[in-house]
Amino acid sequence: MNVKEYISSGILESFVLGELSPQEEQEVLAMAEKHAEVREELDQIEKSFEQVAIQTAVKAPASVKESIMSSIEPAAEAKTIPLPPPKQERSLYRYVAAASILLALVSSFLAWRYWNNWREAEAELSTLIAENQQIADNYNQVNEKLDGLARDLEILGDPAFSRISLAGTENSPESSATVYWDESSEQVYLRIKNLASLSRDQQYQLWAIIDGLPVDAGVFDVSDGLITMKNIPEGATAFAITVEPSGGSREPSLETMRVIGNVTSG
Amino acid sequence: MNNPIDQAALAERLRNKEKDAMNLLYDRYSDALYGVILRIVKDNAVAQEVLQDAFLKIWNRIDSYDPAKGRLFTWMMQISRNLAIDKLRSKEISQSRKTDDIQNTVHTTGSTGTTSQHEEDIGVRELLSHLREEERLVMDLVYFQGFSQSEVSKEKGIPIGTVKTRVRMAIKNLRKILGSE
Repeated sequence: MNVKEYISSGILESFVLGELSPQEEQEVLAMAEKHAEVREELDQIEKSFEQVAIQTAVKAPASVKESIMSSIEPAAEAKTIPLPPPKQERSLYRYVAAASILLALVSSFLAWRYWNNWREAEAELSTLIAENQQIADNYNQVNEKLDGLARDLEILGDPAFSRISLAGTENSPESSATVYWDESSEQVYLRIKNLASLSRDQQYQLWAIIDGLPVDAGVFDVSDGLITMKNIPEGATAFAITVEPSGGSREPSLETMRVIGNVTSG
Repeated sequence: MNNPIDQAALAERLRNKEKDAMNLLYDRYSDALYGVILRIVKDNAVAQEVLQDAFLKIWNRIDSYDPAKGRLFTWMMQISRNLAIDKLRSKEISQSRKTDDIQNTVHTTGSTGTTSQHEEDIGVRELLSHLREEERLVMDLVYFQGFSQSEVSKEKGIPIGTVKTRVRMAIKNLRKILGSE
């Protein structure tokens, strides 16, 4: 077993705790003598236990001291080399100084800890604020979407609206669209399906055919849900969608027509 | 708070039976040792008795202290722990705590109901809070409550080697924490 393994086995801690047999103790001491590393570690462990004991000290009642001091006697032949009696005053100052240093150490430690905690809390707080903001944004988006859906649903379910299906032309056979048109209120809504996205300088334009002539019903970009279009008065017989320059045209470019459908009068 | 007096010099003066040295020794270390003892016996009156026994033993048996073996404090701590554990196991208070009923009392203060240790426990709990759960357990049982490592191994079903390395890690981590103060 090498020295590192020996140290990490925990035998030195057992030694300091006094849990080893005398023989095992001798072995530890022999190792300590042989390896400076073991001696050093042993010393560190002892100091650690000592520190822990000091940190977790409990004030012993003064009566115990009196009782101890009165029951011990200096050896009869004690050749006490009287050390210069410590000056009361000086030693008092020393205690006061020691106490203030200790107090300072403890307070700086506590200050440091609180500062650390505060910093952590601060960081946590800003994360939470950011998350909260995100959730609020999401909520608003969802809410708007929900409002839109509720409106769409109202229109879809409203019997006043007639439903005109527009089918894909040769240009775009897979496309389709539905126009919801209330003749009396002239409101027009549009729902599209499979219309390709356009370049930025182009837009789709919806046309109503009234008396054989195309009437502009507004431009739109590809989007989900119902798109609100311009009002169309009574008399439209068909609707169609063409591709026009952004902003729309006065006359439809018929060759770009994507979908078309007739109003089936009911 | 560790450095000011040289423990070796103090031991030498005790060997010369200087009462002043005893005075100093008591002032310096009685509270630390009292804490050690009280947490093991968990009773103020008993702890005071043990503390007194410990200091008398230190005074009377100072010749058996071998500086080559370790620090004076370590020797005193071992004396105190052993006396406390002996006391605890002696008949007079054995019924209040049995080894087959190891309790993690630092975390369940008052369950043994002998003393109000709340204040004393704050420091311990604070200190232990820095450790990992498994280290806290062994440190509490082995160091603070005076169970032997093999008792903890048996009672908690943890291999003895593991108990030992956990004690070691606990001490190492505490060393870091105390070092930073």
